[in-house]
Amino acid sequence: MTERQGHLVERPEYVRPALGRALTGDAARPLSLAARLADTDPVRKFTVLLAAIVIWEVYTRGAQVPELIFPSFDETIAALWRGLVEYDLAQQIWSSLKVLAIGYAIGLAIGAVLSFIAVSSRFGGDILGTLTAMLNPLPAIALLPLALIWFGLGAKSLIFVLLHSIVWPVALNTHTGFMSVPEPLRMVGRNYGLRNVRYVAKILIPAAFPSILAGLKLGWAFAWRTLIASELVFGAVAESGGLGWFIFASRNELDIPGAFAGLLTVILIGFLVENVIFRNIETRTVVRWGMQS
Amino acid sequence: MGNAIVNKAATNAVHAGLLLRPEFERTLLDARTIGQVERPLSFIERMWNVNGVRKAAVVLGFVVLWEAYTRIAGVPPLLFPSFSQTCVAILDAFSDHRMLSKIAFTFSSLLIGYAVGLAVAAVLVFLASISRVWGDILVTATAMFNPLPAIAILPLAMLWFGLGMFSLVFVLVHSVLWAVALNTYVGFRGVSQTQRMVGANYGLRGVPFAARILVPAALATILSGMKIGWAFAWRTLIGAELVFGATARGGGLGWHIFENSELLRTPQVFAGLFIIILIGVVVENVIFRNVETRTVQRWGMQR
Amino acid sequence: MTGQTAGAAAAGAAPAVEPILDVRGVTLQYKTKEHLITATYRVDFQIFPSDRFVLLGPSGCGKSTLLKGVAGYMKPVEGEIRLKGRRIEEPGPDRVMVFQEFDQLLPWKTVRENITFALLNGGRCRAREQADEIAMTYIRKVKLLGFENTYPHMLSGGMKQRVAIARGMAMEPDILLMDEPFAALDALTRRQMQEELLGLWEDTRFTVLFVTHSIEEAVLVGSRILVLSPHPGQVKAELNAHQHSHFNLGSPEFAALQNRIHNMLFADRVLEDEIRRHD
Repeated sequence: MTERQGHLVERPEYVRPALGRALTGDAARPLSLAARLADTDPVRKFTVLLAAIVIWEVYTRGAQVPELIFPSFDETIAALWRGLVEYDLAQQIWSSLKVLAIGYAIGLAIGAVLSFIAVSSRFGGDILGTLTAMLNPLPAIALLPLALIWFGLGAKSLIFVLLHSIVWPVALNTHTGFMSVPEPLRMVGRNYGLRNVRYVAKILIPAAFPSILAGLKLGWAFAWRTLIASELVFGAVAESGGLGWFIFASRNELDIPGAFAGLLTVILIGFLVENVIFRNIETRTVVRWGMQS
Repeated sequence: MGNAIVNKAATNAVHAGLLLRPEFERTLLDARTIGQVERPLSFIERMWNVNGVRKAAVVLGFVVLWEAYTRIAGVPPLLFPSFSQTCVAILDAFSDHRMLSKIAFTFSSLLIGYAVGLAVAAVLVFLASISRVWGDILVTATAMFNPLPAIAILPLAMLWFGLGMFSLVFVLVHSVLWAVALNTYVGFRGVSQTQRMVGANYGLRGVPFAARILVPAALATILSGMKIGWAFAWRTLIGAELVFGATARGGGLGWHIFENSELLRTPQVFAGLFIIILIGVVVENVIFRNVETRTVQRWGMQR
Repeated sequence: MTGQTAGAAAAGAAPAVEPILDVRGVTLQYKTKEHLITATYRVDFQIFPSDRFVLLGPSGCGKSTLLKGVAGYMKPVEGEIRLKGRRIEEPGPDRVMVFQEFDQLLPWKTVRENITFALLNGGRCRAREQADEIAMTYIRKVKLLGFENTYPHMLSGGMKQRVAIARGMAMEPDILLMDEPFAALDALTRRQMQEELLGLWEDTRFTVLFVTHSIEEAVLVGSRILVLSPHPGQVKAELNAHQHSHFNLGSPEFAALQNRIHNMLFADRVLEDEIRRHD
């Protein structure tokens, strides 16, 4: 414990001459290339992935796990190749992605319009807020039976259901983002004479971009899940197409390597969208602007 | 009293480019003569300010429109039942105990899956925060498995673990785990260096450090992850019940909707949707909102 | 400029008291994305009980890094740091740090809870009642009575720093470490806080290691100043400042010391620029 009521210890002052760089060395020395590389994220992640694949292959071979239960890595790749070359896996992938893209684009547009209405008036905000609070927690897949009654089997039902899964997260996050734009930024916009659509486009959207992007990612995640689930439902009702149905059908025929190949494709597509496409957008926008939330 | 302005007609002197004017002082007016400076809002104005009142008005408006449209346009209940028809269907559904047991069934699977998912996420994140290699493993695994819809692995899970509750819970854990783990990990990483140093300064290490410093500091992000995890689990569950008939026991809300749609009993389908909406609203806007108000909002830490 | 080295003490000037902190030949390094930075090179100094010891120097002189080393967040590459004879290995509650940033207060705890959290977790108190009592004593000392149940986000910057100081002092550490604690405050509040700190020191005579880049603050607050020159940080001089305080702020002696330090640092900087041009 420190002494209370202590007294200052006086000692003599001193001054020293500075030591030259020859003695002290450089204050900042660049790191070697190896040290810097070992630090980068992609290198580390790739190493982990490689290790995982090796363990997968070694374990399934070593423990002689039957391919009907858990195929090895090379069996999965072989099934993937078979699917693309012999069966119509490529066609199924394309069919799934096409519907998803159309649904996503329309959903985005509707979400944008709703957000614009919501931000233009307090009552508009109320309507959107109430609508979203009620419909957002409703899983889109639950609407599929209803859609089947209204629109029958086919792309229309699928898109209806996809729209529901996309519109609410996008609109909700965009609206929250708009509401959180700091007052000084809004005042700057109005100071320059920006109103309505130009105000929204040039001030609100960029300022709220982290939130908007979060909404877009969530919308994609929900849409993707709804799509796969819907294809599974359709597959149970009638022969149909799509990646989800491919996995289901493979598993029904006990072509487990085929099912794994389908899952691998789902993982790859999902990985590409989330970690390449979205990450790219992030890098060019919120990261570059230093706005990462 | 009145104003007293000195030297109204002064000549304007110019000094170093500045236009000089004479100074003046005034006596202030008595506040009572100005009239009402503040006026309390009328009852209607205050009522309209309350969020809940406005939202209730919106809901009421929708219900009225809905009922009016279906009656006037004569829409067949097979296609789009009216509000009153839906209410009757809901009451009908609850009249026997089957609806309650369906809800209980849905919820029990959900809660188990959610709880186990949270527990596994906690372990993974703890490992990731003490070792850099585990951190890399967590991030890579999340990047791979987060975009994989849980419903896609249900057929395989049922092959491996049979048609029972275990496959369902397995799949639910997958749907919750990655979103929660990722958000928690990112939240932990985002805790400011200063706060970490404060914790270390008091001698906190390991689990006490994570529990007393990292978790509260990252709570906003963690809660956000937990909400997303809930949303994914909810969707997976309803989807699973819909597609696979709730693991051969035939219970659950999703199955109720599917069964009734096959029989073209649309009012019952609407009833099921209503109940699902109600549950979702309660969880997101009551439970989660309450937690947020008592924690991150009170601490001024809401993002 | 000739000066006395620490070894060649003048007659009768060697202190008889044991130093509380002994820093010998300490070299500190850290890595950035692309470089290995040597923050300090073989720095030595000693701090005695009740010292108001200031580390002063321009950016790049390693003063904050030195403070982190004393706190235990960094290990020296060369040399050693001893507190009361014991080697410092890791952070601990016997050297409490007051940071510059406002988020050093835990936002999920009230003012009082921030202090009791430190006391209970740092092992100073076992019982909550005892911790509460101590917390209220120090809240009174820093003139924040009435705010003990407020959350940090509702306090002003100056008030937040007062809470941080109360928290540090309540721990009664062997040495209180302060990393430019007033840098983020406006000028008026800063002056007020400097005076309050001196008042607190008069009251309890704690030992403090204070880092600043402001010469005026160093002379005002400090009783002994270690002047560091940058790239890498080395000891330039150790000067006395106990004769100066806020009561002689405008005086010629105060200004003279300020100028002396300024010239010391400025002369070095000119020399360094010349060396760089010839590289």
